[in-house]
Amino acid sequence: MINQLPIINLMLLMGMALAIPLFRKRAFNRTLVIGFLVMLLVLVLTVVMFVHVLQHGSISYHFGNHPAAFGIQLLVSPFSAFFSMFILFLALLVYVYSCGDATEGIEEKEYGRYYILLFILMFSMTGILYTNDLFNIYVFIEILSITTCAIISIKRKKETYTSAFRYVMLNEIGSLSYLFGVAMLYMITGYTNIELVSQTLTTVWTSYAPNVIIALGFMVIGIGIKAAIFPFHIWLPDAHASAPSTSSAILSAIVVKVYVLILVKLLFKVYGLDILHALKIPLVLTIVAATGMIMGSVFAIAQKDVKRMLGYSSVAQIGYIVMGIGLLSFMGLRAAFFHIISHGLMKAALFLSVGIVIFYKKNRQVKGFDGLGFQMPLTMGVFALAGFGMIGLPLTSGFIAKLNLGLAVLDAGKGFLIGIIVLSAFLNIIYYLPIIIAAFLKTGPEEPRPTTIEKVPKLMLVPVVMLGLLILFLGLFPNLVMEWVEAAVSTLL
Amino acid sequence: MMNQNHENLAIPPLKGQPLLDRLTNQSSILVVFMLLCLVMFGGVLENWFGMGDAIRNSAIHDILMTISNSGWLLLFILVVPVIGGIIELHYGQRHCHQRDQVVIFMTFLTILGVLFLYPMALNNGTVFEVPGLLGLGLGFKVDRLGFTALLITAVIWFLVMVYAHEYMKKEKRCTRFFFFMALTYSAVLGTIMAADLLTMFLFFEVLTVTSYMLVIHGQKDESFSAGYNFIIMGLVGGFMILVALLLLVFNIGDLRFQSALSSLSTMGSLQYWIMGLLVIGFGIKAGMAPVHVWLPRAHPVAPTPASALLSGIMIKVGAFGILRVATSYYFPNKGDINDRFDPLWQTPETIGSALIWLGIITMAIGVFLALQQSNIKRMLAYHSVSQMGYIVTGIGVALYLGYWGAMGFSGALYHIINHALFKSLLFMVAGVVYFHTREHDMYKLGSLWKQLPLTTVVCLIASLGISGIPLFNGFISKSILHHGLVEAFTYGHASFRVAELIFLVVSAGTVCSFIKMFYYVFLRKTDRNYKELVREYSTLDIAMAAIGILIIMIGLAPRFIMTHMILPQLDAVTYDPYFITNYIANLSYFTWSEFQTTVIVVALGFGIFFFGTRLHWFHLRLPAWMSVEYLFFYPVFKIMQKACRLMYGDKCPIDQVSLSKLSIDGKNEASFTERFVITIGMFNRRYESSIIKSDALIYTLFITLILLFMFIFGVV
Repeated sequence: MINQLPIINLMLLMGMALAIPLFRKRAFNRTLVIGFLVMLLVLVLTVVMFVHVLQHGSISYHFGNHPAAFGIQLLVSPFSAFFSMFILFLALLVYVYSCGDATEGIEEKEYGRYYILLFILMFSMTGILYTNDLFNIYVFIEILSITTCAIISIKRKKETYTSAFRYVMLNEIGSLSYLFGVAMLYMITGYTNIELVSQTLTTVWTSYAPNVIIALGFMVIGIGIKAAIFPFHIWLPDAHASAPSTSSAILSAIVVKVYVLILVKLLFKVYGLDILHALKIPLVLTIVAATGMIMGSVFAIAQKDVKRMLGYSSVAQIGYIVMGIGLLSFMGLRAAFFHIISHGLMKAALFLSVGIVIFYKKNRQVKGFDGLGFQMPLTMGVFALAGFGMIGLPLTSGFIAKLNLGLAVLDAGKGFLIGIIVLSAFLNIIYYLPIIIAAFLKTGPEEPRPTTIEKVPKLMLVPVVMLGLLILFLGLFPNLVMEWVEAAVSTLL
Repeated sequence: MMNQNHENLAIPPLKGQPLLDRLTNQSSILVVFMLLCLVMFGGVLENWFGMGDAIRNSAIHDILMTISNSGWLLLFILVVPVIGGIIELHYGQRHCHQRDQVVIFMTFLTILGVLFLYPMALNNGTVFEVPGLLGLGLGFKVDRLGFTALLITAVIWFLVMVYAHEYMKKEKRCTRFFFFMALTYSAVLGTIMAADLLTMFLFFEVLTVTSYMLVIHGQKDESFSAGYNFIIMGLVGGFMILVALLLLVFNIGDLRFQSALSSLSTMGSLQYWIMGLLVIGFGIKAGMAPVHVWLPRAHPVAPTPASALLSGIMIKVGAFGILRVATSYYFPNKGDINDRFDPLWQTPETIGSALIWLGIITMAIGVFLALQQSNIKRMLAYHSVSQMGYIVTGIGVALYLGYWGAMGFSGALYHIINHALFKSLLFMVAGVVYFHTREHDMYKLGSLWKQLPLTTVVCLIASLGISGIPLFNGFISKSILHHGLVEAFTYGHASFRVAELIFLVVSAGTVCSFIKMFYYVFLRKTDRNYKELVREYSTLDIAMAAIGILIIMIGLAPRFIMTHMILPQLDAVTYDPYFITNYIANLSYFTWSEFQTTVIVVALGFGIFFFGTRLHWFHLRLPAWMSVEYLFFYPVFKIMQKACRLMYGDKCPIDQVSLSKLSIDGKNEASFTERFVITIGMFNRRYESSIIKSDALIYTLFITLILLFMFIFGVV
């Protein structure tokens, strides 16, 4: 039974997406409740799977019992189980939030469509994590980018179309680059199954070096575009600015991370450390990451729109993750994975709390936060907490992530990178701190009255507060999650 | 019950209204009780009437030991202020009285808790670990150094809170103030109790954030700009400590405060990098010379209780951090060494000489700038910088002389205690003057001695203390520090003779500065007659009088602190026992040569004051081009102008609204971060959209580059 769980999860998510139009006649709230239950079920099943995988080793599922060389193999290792658990959990929080507010800019008849897209998004992301087949990853990537595009352009406004168009063009280039790389690898090895490809590659790669290199270059850049790694981040700020807040949260906290995880799979499971070291990939990744960490923050400082600012901040934070990955060490991956978790929580908290501000105050200017802390103390409190996390103050998960990244950098003998980390943290101060200060210490245009304090649907508030608590919890007791992260890392190295 | 809604009391209280509130009596009793407790404590230590022996031999002793050695007491001391803060929030503005009562009572409770820690501190403490917290685990420990710092912090905090009760009646948003005060208190205590660098760093960062709330309490533009400066520098200092922490974890693997010198001294220049980062990181909080710039801006804008504590306690936390780190990581183990010429002393010696010069520069800059100030609080803030220079110099001597550095250590620690006392008292005096006259400019004040006799007396006491006049506390620590410097050039390099001379000149400057302040504020005859000044016996007076008494007590019986607070610590640190027992324990303070030095210093001080007032030295300003801002920003501005022309061509917006802030003229006081943000905005405006539009180009470029890179460098 437990072996069937991966496919059951996928079917549940897909089924829910397909079922939403069928419920059209009923009250929409009921659909939402059913959707919630389905997601909860999937989450519980994933947790079960994760526990099982931790104790008994990976689950492997072959479609139609075809051998791995021909068919499609789903492989649930601690790595994929852990991250699918995390993604589903965050998505559940965002789902609950969006039940309170999907209204921001979305027309009422589009609600159904929004939730369909959300479930397809979940489906494709879990698929990407589960699958052990390069081409199958491509298929899921396509599904993912098309749904993402639809979810970005769900507001019927002109500017959303331009940003969605830019997104779709760039991402198609990315997908095709990836596909090109897969084809090159297939040319050498004759397989698309990750394990088989990697086995063959280690023996023959020196004889087909050009192919291997071209494949790697195209795949890394293709995924880089989708993961918004620094010079390819160009689609991201516009997409964030125009999408509804829930979509931005999902996009920034989850979707982008999934692409980073594909990169991890590609580097560690397909190519392996020897080839990467021979091709000096660590150097490339480190340079890209370091420039991203600085430039992302530099662009963020200059932004006037909060959501664009948060988007650029994501670019910088992905730099941290890539830096951890680029060290190609146990410590590095550990730090990177922890930062994926921590940044996921913090960025979701930031986008959702900004979403509340936009929902309630119709304000999205950085300068318009004066005095908001008095009117929505909980929301802005979580915003401040997450902002502190971004800066890396202790007691937040961001500090633990920075600490581990610093240790990893030292461990890899690249101590000078600490300078970059500190500089980036300093830049983070410059754009997060003034907002927090303005919100809590400056007086706004309106006097806060007891009747107007925190007048937000509870469904929106609960996930935000939960995220805040989690950030604190992870900052105080990181060791539990760290064990899981280490289990996930050890499946890769 | 009286109507205690002080929200609207920004105007001075009406005449004839009874101001003497219940809390005044209550807190007078409490303060007297606290002083009694301290005296009793001293009595037990000194074994008056056999009290100490009686306790040691009775059952109380075991109970005390159990209480002291349980980790719960540490937790209790840490948590009491926080609980107090929460209760304060509960009472809020509506029940000012109960709220202030809670504030005072909770801080009093902490003093008792700290006193109970003594037995544990005597055994140099046991570490209470909280494993797993923050990944690496936290640890708390109170040793003798920590105990001394805790006691002085607790006493001053309590007295300042008593003071604050009355003072804050004229301020708004007191509940927030007291709440963050409580959090800051807890953070300070935590920093001192930390047993490892991570714990210290954690509380240090909390301290930065919470004390920020105190600095900007006034919520005026100037407090925001000073506060922004404060928090940015504080956080940057935190990052430096973090980097040092990372390097230590990685290279040593253990963050507990214990000797790591044997592994550190094999690391080449890295050991100096680590220490440099730590010194600058803590030094930013301590107001050390090149990084002191936040201090003279932040301390004056904070409400007086906050600035008294900022100057009295919080900057000491920085010095305490340096002292702690230097004497633990950078000191050899006691067993490993038995003479001064061991090669292991090389590292502390190098660091020590750097610290001595840093300290000397700090004290000189501080005093020089203090003499030019007219704002009392700003002057006091600059004196804090200068006095921190003394402390840093002391720490430097403690390290430089290695095995014989005990004199510097005692001097630094003694001065930490003394400066905490007289500087908080001086700030309180400035606060009382402001409280009654709403005036900070000393040239506009005068002849206040008639109206405020008690304030005048305590101000005199504190001024004599800070100037180092015999029979007052500053004299003791300054002469110990002076001894230390003399030893530094006797046993070490001759160049420290210059340092000693600067030390004396700075002391003279201090004397002059306080003559000036005392004269202008209290003695000078003016036209103002302060008819409106209504003075009642209030908690302001109690608190100030209590600190004044403490100053005199220390000044009259200097040996008590030496034998019970400092000497035990010297035993714990790796210092020559012979040196300690023969020189420090028997140090006589009131000797003829010391008096001679003092007389020279005071005469010099009077001389500077006399000629300064005649020749208008105190109004001299350095020319604008010599300021750091100008030297740094002018070239930057010129480069920016060129860059702007290059980027935008003729449409260069450098002179337009927002960018014009970058230009250099006298009125413009844009800070570093502000300029940075504007500059980035300029680049962004030009390039952001063009980067976004050149997506295909970037793609092609990078794919070519990465492939070329791998082909050329990878495969070979």
